[in-house]
Amino acid sequence: MTAPGDVVAGRDGPTSTSTGPGRVLVAVYGVLALAATARSAVQVLRDLDEAPLAYLLSGLAAGVYVVATVALARGSGVWRRVAWVTVTIEGVGVLVVGALSVARPELFPEATVWSGFGAGYGYVPLVLPFLGLLWLRRTGRAGHR
Amino acid sequence: MLSGPARRPDRRILGAVWTPLVALVIALAVLLGLWAAWRTVRDRPVILRQLIFGGVIEGLLVVQAVVAGATAATGGGPQDTLTFWGYVLTSLLILPIAAAWAFAERSRWSSVVLLVAALTVAFLQLRLVQVWGAA
Repeated sequence: MTAPGDVVAGRDGPTSTSTGPGRVLVAVYGVLALAATARSAVQVLRDLDEAPLAYLLSGLAAGVYVVATVALARGSGVWRRVAWVTVTIEGVGVLVVGALSVARPELFPEATVWSGFGAGYGYVPLVLPFLGLLWLRRTGRAGHR
Repeated sequence: MLSGPARRPDRRILGAVWTPLVALVIALAVLLGLWAAWRTVRDRPVILRQLIFGGVIEGLLVVQAVVAGATAATGGGPQDTLTFWGYVLTSLLILPIAAAWAFAERSRWSSVVLLVAALTVAFLQLRLVQVWGAA
């Protein structure tokens, strides 16, 4: 069902990342951004000295999720590049921190969003960046680079 | 610092409202989720009636926040207040934002967005119960 004014997959340029399935991607990113931000706000505000590395990382991850959400929601021009960068950071972050949290748990006495490959968030942080990259590739393919 | 399961009277009175309220919100959120899933399967977008239904849930969430505030004011709230209020605030934000985001898209994907939002609200209720119970 398309209504007038809908963004339809264009032939002459990258499609916006925020329509169709992208709308769901942005929604899930938004939920994760909200969850990570709220949690890290609590951690940083109250318990920062307990586990500074883990909590600052939580804050960083939350910030990256917020920017990624906005970038995917905007979905064109420079925002597309911002989305590429932030989604890539998340993918690398969840893999590196996930591996570290398993191999050297003493580094992360308290859970971050990326600990255990995002197990605390139903592995959504592990799956999402890869869906995001696939989506960026797919919507970017439609035209000029 | 560990206090056993509190047996304060005020908590019991407000708890009598709190638990059914949580159950009701979860039930309605799951219903909204099923409704959205059904419309996804049928390739239909979110409709106004679903938003009204979501509005009812949002109203209950506001009532819940007030009840929680009253409980906290009488000293019967959860121990981890910051986390608790983080969840209360987050659950208040989800539906309005998701509804606006979903409604702007006139395809089945808007129904998936609403489904995600409804399940998130239900899940946050469970977390609220956990945080409250961990007092």
